Amino acid sequence: MLKVCHLYPDLLNLYGDRGNVMAYVRRCQWRGMEVEVYRINLGDPVDFQEMDFLFLGGGSDREQNLMAGDLEKRRELLQAAVEDGLVVLAICGGYQLLGRYYRTLEGQVIPGLGLLDFYTEAGRKRMIGNVAVELEIEGEPVRVTGFENHAGRTFLGQISPLGRVLVGYGNNGEDGTEGARYKNVFCSYLHGPLLPKNPRLVDYLISLALKRRGLPAELAPLDDRLERAAAEIMLKRLLK
Amino acid sequence: MAFRLRLILAILVAKVIMWLVRLLGRGKGSSLPGMVALRICPGILPCLARQARRGVIMVTGTNGKTTTNNMIARVVREAGYRVVVNAEGANLITGVTAAFLKAASLSGRVDCDYALLEVDEASFPRVTRQVYPNIVVITNFFRDQLDRYGELDKTISLIREALVQLSGTRLVLNADDPLVAPLAASTGKEAFYYGLGEHHQVASFSTAAREGRFCPHCGRELVYVYYHYSQLGNYRCPGCGFSRPFADVEGTEVSPGSHRVSVRLRSPAGSCELVIPVPGLYNLYNGLAAFSAGLLLGVEPEVIISALAAYTPATGRMERFRYRDKAVLLNLVKNPTGFNEGLNTLLSLPGPVDVLIAINDNDADGRDISWLWDVDFEVLEEHHFRINFLVCTGQRGAEMAVRLKYAGVPLEKIVVEEMPRAVEHVLSGSGKTAYLLATYTALWPLERILSGYAKRENHVESLPSVS
Repeated sequence: MLKVCHLYPDLLNLYGDRGNVMAYVRRCQWRGMEVEVYRINLGDPVDFQEMDFLFLGGGSDREQNLMAGDLEKRRELLQAAVEDGLVVLAICGGYQLLGRYYRTLEGQVIPGLGLLDFYTEAGRKRMIGNVAVELEIEGEPVRVTGFENHAGRTFLGQISPLGRVLVGYGNNGEDGTEGARYKNVFCSYLHGPLLPKNPRLVDYLISLALKRRGLPAELAPLDDRLERAAAEIMLKRLLK
Repeated sequence: MAFRLRLILAILVAKVIMWLVRLLGRGKGSSLPGMVALRICPGILPCLARQARRGVIMVTGTNGKTTTNNMIARVVREAGYRVVVNAEGANLITGVTAAFLKAASLSGRVDCDYALLEVDEASFPRVTRQVYPNIVVITNFFRDQLDRYGELDKTISLIREALVQLSGTRLVLNADDPLVAPLAASTGKEAFYYGLGEHHQVASFSTAAREGRFCPHCGRELVYVYYHYSQLGNYRCPGCGFSRPFADVEGTEVSPGSHRVSVRLRSPAGSCELVIPVPGLYNLYNGLAAFSAGLLLGVEPEVIISALAAYTPATGRMERFRYRDKAVLLNLVKNPTGFNEGLNTLLSLPGPVDVLIAINDNDADGRDISWLWDVDFEVLEEHHFRINFLVCTGQRGAEMAVRLKYAGVPLEKIVVEEMPRAVEHVLSGSGKTAYLLATYTALWPLERILSGYAKRENHVESLPSVS
C-alpha cells in the first residue's frame, strides 16, 4: 500500500492544488494499487519516513505564514526523509519554502527550510500566464503546460532545474529554467495543476516510490488519450 | 460651455455605437459605448448618476450580483418607480456608465427614481469615487478569478477602504458569511443583515473550497453550528467572540424544488412566505438580499413578495429553453462555489440528464482554469448513473474532460467536441433534461447556437405554485 501525505490541505489549497493528489491517487487505484491519503494539518503528527509521496501546495501570504512555523518544527524529520528518497512534489509557495530564503521587496529576508539549494527574491511585477515547459523524464523529453502566477523569482544553486521554459517565465523569467529537482524532490511553479496534465510525470513519481520500497516499479499502461489531447491543444496554441 | 458640449457629444456617439452594435448583432452593446463616452467626457458618470431622484443602490460581492441586482430592480419597478439598471452583468465602470447612457436623453437628462447598479469587486472603489451609493448590498466573498484580482483578502480590504470614504451609506450584509459580516464594524456603517436559519438541508457538503475558515479579527479557526454551503453558516470564534450577527431578515423552513425555492421569512415587517421561481440555495440568498433592500427602501412586503415571485433570470442565470419534449437549462459558472451549486442543481433535476460543459479562458472568464480542480466534480462519480453523458466544449473543453476523468466519471461518458456539434449532441441525447453549464464568454455563442434549435421558454410554467 502506498501512503500519500497531503501537507496542510486546508491552508495550502490555492489554484486547484489538490488536483495533484487526485491524479496520484487515481492512477495508483486504476492499477489496483491500494493508496491511503493522510491529510496533515497544523500540529497533526506525521512520520515522513513512512510516507511514499508528499505533496506541498501554495497558499496566500497569510496562510503561508501560519504553516511556515509548523513546518519549521518538522524540518529535521523532513530532511531525513528527503535524503532517504521520499518522493515530494512542491508547487509555487511550497516550492519557495524548501529553499534557503525568500527576500521581500523591502529587503527583509525570510528564512526557508533550506532543504534545497536555491533562493527566491520578490519582484515588482507578478509573472502570470500560461506556460509550456519541456521536462526530461527517464531520458525522454516531455512537454507540459500549466499556469503560473508568482511574484517571487527563484535562482538555483547547485541543483538541477525540473525543465526548460518554452513559453512563459519559469523560475525567474531570465535563465529559461523552470522548477527544481533534487533526489526525489520535484519543485515547480506550474499549477493548473501539474500532475493530471502530465501522466508521464505522475507515473514516474509512482514508480520512484515503489522503487524506494523495493517493489517492482513497472507500471501497467493506462488510457491517456484525454490527457494527451488536452496537452496537444494547449501546446499548439502556445507554441504557434 | 465645454462640458455641456462634451456631454452631448459623448451621449450621441454612445447611442450611435449602441445602435450599431445591435444592428451588427455583436452582443448587447453593454460596455463599448461606456468606454467611448468616458473618453469623450470623463465627468459624465457623476453628472448622469446624480440625477437619480431617490438615490443609488449598489450590489457587490463574488456570486449573485446580477441576480440580486435584477431582483431589486423588479421590486422597485413593481413599487412604481422608474429605474436605471445595468441588467446584463456589465459591471465595470464602462458597463455602469453605459446603463446611464442608455437611459439618458440627447440633452443629458436621466429620468429615474433609483439607479440599481451591480459593481464588480475590483471596480467598486473606482465607481464609488464617482457615484454615491445610498445603499450597498454585499452578497458574499469567494475565491474567483485570482489571476485577475490577486488574493481575496486584498479584494475585501479594497471594498472596506472604499466604504470608509463614504458617509451615510447604509449596508445590507450577508450575516452568514464571516468575510462579509465584519464590514459593518470595520467601516463604522449602519448595517441591515440577512441570513438563513437552520433547516433540514443543513449539512457540511462542499468543505473543499471553503474560504473564510479563520476569524477575520484574531485568526483563530471558526467553529460552526451548521453550514449552508462553503463558508456560509452559523459561525463563532472561540478566541475573540466574533460570531454571526443577528439577522434582521431570516429565512427558515426552506423547501427547495427543481424550479423554485420557498422559505418562511422573519423580518421587522412580520412573518411571511417568500417564493422565488429559480432553484438553488444561492438564489434564495439573492432573494433574501433583495427582500432586505426592498424593506430598507420602504416598499411594502406584499409588493416585494409578488415582485420576486415573478422574477425572470438574466442570460445564463438558469435560462430555460425547450427542444421537442426536452427541457433545456443554461447556467453560468465562474468559480468553485457557483459550480458546486450548479452540480447540486444538476443532481436534483428529473433524470436522466444530458450535460454540456463549456469552458473558455478569455479575460472575462479568468485565464487560469485551475479552479476547475477545486470544484467537487467527485459527486458525479457516485451519481453518474443519472447522467447519460457529459459533452465538454469551449477553448478548454479538453482539460474539462481530463478533470471529469479524474473525478471518477466513466471514460465512455466523457465527450469532447467543438461547440456547434456539442450542442447538437446534448440536444439529441435521450435524457429528459439537457443541462448546459458555461463560463462567461462561452455563454453567448452557446445561447446563439441553442436559439437556432430550441425555443426559449416563456416563464408561465415556472411561475410559483400557490403553496
